[in-house]
Amino acid sequence: MTLSILMLFLAAGVPYYLILEKAKINSKLIFVLSSLLLMSAIILSQYIPNEHNTVLLSISFASTVYTIYKASKTTNFYKLGYYLIFINAPFFLLFEGRGVMYSVSLLVSLLGIYLIGRFYEKNYASANYHYIRGITLSTPYIGTFLTIYLITLALYPPFPNSLYFLGYVLQVETSLAWYIVIITIFFGNFVLAMKVMRESLFGRPNANIHYVDLNLNEKLMHLGVIVLLLILSFNGLKEILL
Amino acid sequence: MSIIQKLDTVKGTVPHYWPIGSFIHHNPLKGFEDLSFKDGLAKAKSIYGGKVYMDSSYFMSLFNEGKIDIELFEKNIAKVLEDKELDIPLEFAKKFLMEVSPKWSSLRIKFLSVQEEINDELYQHLQEQSIYNNEKAWLNNLLKHMTLYEINDALFGGDDKETVEKNIIEYISRFLDEDQTTLTMPNRELGMFEAFKLFENFNYEKDASSFVEDALEELHIKDVESYLTTHLLKLHGWAGFIKYRSEDENYLAQRRHPSTLIEYIAVRLYYELEVTKESKISNFTLLEEYINENLSDSILQLLKRKNILFGPALDALEANEKTCQVLSDHITNELNLDALQIQHSNDVLQSSLSLTELADILHILREEEGYIWLKSLEDSYIRTHVNEFTNPHNESDIQMQASATFCLDVRSEVIRRKIEQSGAYSTFGAGGFLGVPIAFVEFDKAHELFLAPATIKPQNVVFEIPKESHEEYSSKTGMNKTTKKVLNDLKNNPYTPYIMVEAIGWIFGINLFGRTFLPQKTNKLFSKLKPNKPKTTYTLDKLSIEEIEFYVKKLHTKIIESVLTDYSKKIYSESEIDIVRRHLIFNESLSVKVEAKILEKLSEFYHITASDYEYQKKKLAMVGFTLEEKVQYLHTYLNMIGQVNNFPKFVTIIGHGSVSDNNPFESALDCGACGGNISLPNTRTLCMIANTPAVREKIKEQGIFIPDETRFVPGFHITSTDEIKFYDTDILTVEEERAFTKIKEDFNKASSLARQERTKALPYTHSENDIFIKSMDWSETRPEWGLAKNMGVFAGPRSSTKHIELNNRLFLHSYDWNLDNENADILTRIFNGPLVVGEWINLEHYFSTVDNHVYGAGSKVYHNIVSKVGVFNGNYSDLKIGLPSQSVYLEGEAYHEPVRLLTYMEAPLRLVLKAVENSVAKPFILNEWIRPVVIDPEAKKVYSYENGDFVIIKELA
Repeated sequence: MTLSILMLFLAAGVPYYLILEKAKINSKLIFVLSSLLLMSAIILSQYIPNEHNTVLLSISFASTVYTIYKASKTTNFYKLGYYLIFINAPFFLLFEGRGVMYSVSLLVSLLGIYLIGRFYEKNYASANYHYIRGITLSTPYIGTFLTIYLITLALYPPFPNSLYFLGYVLQVETSLAWYIVIITIFFGNFVLAMKVMRESLFGRPNANIHYVDLNLNEKLMHLGVIVLLLILSFNGLKEILL
Repeated sequence: MSIIQKLDTVKGTVPHYWPIGSFIHHNPLKGFEDLSFKDGLAKAKSIYGGKVYMDSSYFMSLFNEGKIDIELFEKNIAKVLEDKELDIPLEFAKKFLMEVSPKWSSLRIKFLSVQEEINDELYQHLQEQSIYNNEKAWLNNLLKHMTLYEINDALFGGDDKETVEKNIIEYISRFLDEDQTTLTMPNRELGMFEAFKLFENFNYEKDASSFVEDALEELHIKDVESYLTTHLLKLHGWAGFIKYRSEDENYLAQRRHPSTLIEYIAVRLYYELEVTKESKISNFTLLEEYINENLSDSILQLLKRKNILFGPALDALEANEKTCQVLSDHITNELNLDALQIQHSNDVLQSSLSLTELADILHILREEEGYIWLKSLEDSYIRTHVNEFTNPHNESDIQMQASATFCLDVRSEVIRRKIEQSGAYSTFGAGGFLGVPIAFVEFDKAHELFLAPATIKPQNVVFEIPKESHEEYSSKTGMNKTTKKVLNDLKNNPYTPYIMVEAIGWIFGINLFGRTFLPQKTNKLFSKLKPNKPKTTYTLDKLSIEEIEFYVKKLHTKIIESVLTDYSKKIYSESEIDIVRRHLIFNESLSVKVEAKILEKLSEFYHITASDYEYQKKKLAMVGFTLEEKVQYLHTYLNMIGQVNNFPKFVTIIGHGSVSDNNPFESALDCGACGGNISLPNTRTLCMIANTPAVREKIKEQGIFIPDETRFVPGFHITSTDEIKFYDTDILTVEEERAFTKIKEDFNKASSLARQERTKALPYTHSENDIFIKSMDWSETRPEWGLAKNMGVFAGPRSSTKHIELNNRLFLHSYDWNLDNENADILTRIFNGPLVVGEWINLEHYFSTVDNHVYGAGSKVYHNIVSKVGVFNGNYSDLKIGLPSQSVYLEGEAYHEPVRLLTYMEAPLRLVLKAVENSVAKPFILNEWIRPVVIDPEAKKVYSYENGDFVIIKELA
């Protein structure tokens, strides 16, 4: 039970809602912190048995629903990033052993979102995407990478998040709680990713903005993230097939 | 002023939209033509918000390609400096326009996250100049052209706009449907607003204008005209189409299902009231109160909605920071960036001016730069063209084998050049409809097409009738119609599609895969299934009064007989039917027993009435031409193009049209002067008239002698493939046929050469065959370039342009001023027809290029046909006006070069002035929506119309 509470603390945004949100800390830092906490949970779960507790799962799920609402209100990539960690926390708890790989692939795709947020901050003074529309046409490189990350987060195959998710769904016994959690989080991820797509990738480019695309180093960094996602995809596919 | 009058004062801002089936190019800013071009564009920008000039970076790339003459550019800058009383060196302004302005936005934004020192004086100056000092004015500016539901959305974050616009589009697209749907909306004959009341089931006893007045009162609108404009602009494509319909009394769908702009506004306001009564703010008085209490927040929310708020401010809003502080930071940030933009401009310009002076000067130059660049580009082309047109060139005096007159279009330039090069042929260009406006009823069709510019209403009706047996055609047509009907019925039945897909779905696969992978072969296969139209002729002679009476009587008798048989199940004799007819039409006593409801049906539903009798007689009286009319049309035509003597053996008159597949915009590629239809019927009509001996006899009295052996042969130029097909060659004798075959061969060779030349301009086209494939490929978004790159019109003798390769960019109208009278009647006619159409085509392309989002139709890829009247994006959007991006853009770069129509006229200035004075084109000529250039062979001077005067730009030797 204590270990489960620890897992909940690390993965489901408890420190954020208890301390960080009120402390008005920079959202970029919160994103990094939240990722580190999830990473700690992933590492810890390798050494301690992870059995989900229904009460804790319910608390985590409540946090998920609230976070989906909060995430739907933000247009900042950093905030979106850590909200997605919290939203997916019940998977980590519910999936037990398999939740680890799902969380790893989630972290990798969020690394891509983080890099994009950093790029926006550098070139547009903030990681907020609300006023930077139509990037598919104006800045096709960043548009392409963002599309891949968002499709991954929206749980579209053949990207790793969807494969690990599918692998788990196909192999476990179901219950009512299971259905509710799975469906809510699946649609939460999907709707949020689509919302970001609609508001950033498409639409008429903003005439008040001087659009900037990725330079070579940045492209290479994103390419690295894509390679990691591909490796995870192969692994995920292997898990489903074998 | 009544609400209708108020609407009339503002509806000019909405451009006409013709149904896509007869796409007519038009100036989307026609309502602004009473202003000068510059002022009109400035006003349109303030209303529509789109761009009206290309960016300076675009012009810089043209400059680098050598298309803009530096001397003329400097001259135009100097003129602006003089007009605006700017005391700065020319070099300074030039450096700004060429080096700073093209990267203006990058100068502002790239320093967003870099801390730099801001000049205090400059900051102060910008602050004083800015609207931020007056928050109320700023807010009003932001609220301009916003409806109440949009304001609610912006202030409180909703999506009412989506709901309202979706509802409106759903209703009007169903109401305006022209047989696209299988389940049509009931009660449409009651009119748009009355049908709407039943559609929404709301109880309102008065008419649409009363509803609009009540709704505006409920919304507490103070400036009614402004709010009506706001609503018209929300879906200006649909509004434009309703405006067009309501003003065209001959539009069949309008007669059946009447709609007006006031009814459209009533529908809009109904939905607005429906959503706003649930909203926090339900009228403008409440809005004012709310804004007074929450000024900063309101401004911030509106800025956010309009995508003007930068990221840091958005983050601050999300973090619920104090709005007055967020707004203050936003203003500081904006002013800092503005200041940095000036400071960094100065780094490049190295000006000795103070930064505050520099800011003011750069502001003026930024406002003027679009026009400076545009005029410089136009002036550069004018200089080049004038030099080429006036360059001495040799004229051969050989006897021509044939002449070819092409219906006016830029796309005939290359083929004309190639025909001239392929033998002893002379070519002419004649205004689109050849000066013969006709209402044409095609064989096997029931409706008439107006083959004339949209501003002209044809007074002569021409029927196409078969002159050989057409049983095979009728049987194939019947079979095709039946097959189509069966398939449609199977498709629309609720149950049959389930089995239909399994059973016969594969048949459609042939078409699907064939047209995708083997378009040429599939096209050949399917063309075999199409019925071949029999040889036809036209009804060109007037009917006598007796004949008219006979046909009307016959029509009415047939209808009465059929109705009586169907409804009373009794056989009536001929005399009894005639008694019924006479009773219905002449109100004579009825001695035959017929049920009252049948009589009512005949008069109400089948219109067997006295007025219909007169109407039918009037329509039939319009059929054909009198001899005088025929002579007059032919005389006018020949004089217009200057072909009044030395007629060759064969005089061909060639109309044009385009062939493409799966292209809703196909009619945009047809003849603009024929109302977006092909111009073949006009050419056939004119040739038939010219071949009539009585006409030749009569025209001889007017000084035009056409030898008996001369034959007028109509032809058809397919612009997408450059093929030329000839019609009515059965009038030729065997010997003439032999001679004409040689001419056809030469024209075919010319077609081939024209195609080869065009492969260089068409993307992804390497051979002539690629051009043919494009015309039948259903995935091809660009079957031809159409009128893209059009830039001007030349009215004068062919000898002045024959030696120049104009690459299908100029309309070449033949005109010989020596044949014109002192009243410039011929030139006036050219101004009234071809010039008006040319200006519409040119400005349609201009605005679709400068801002395809606002004035164009966007990408074809997302288009769906709606109501058979136009296209919209996805499953609902505004009706797309203008041209699709594929017609004017290539791979994201503008293919069309937007310039005003460079209008060259080779004629004495006095004649041109007379024609301008007499012409309907006078307003847009004098307001410089085109660029008139006069090459005066008498005075040996070339004039250009600039700033209200004709100025000499070249003296001829």
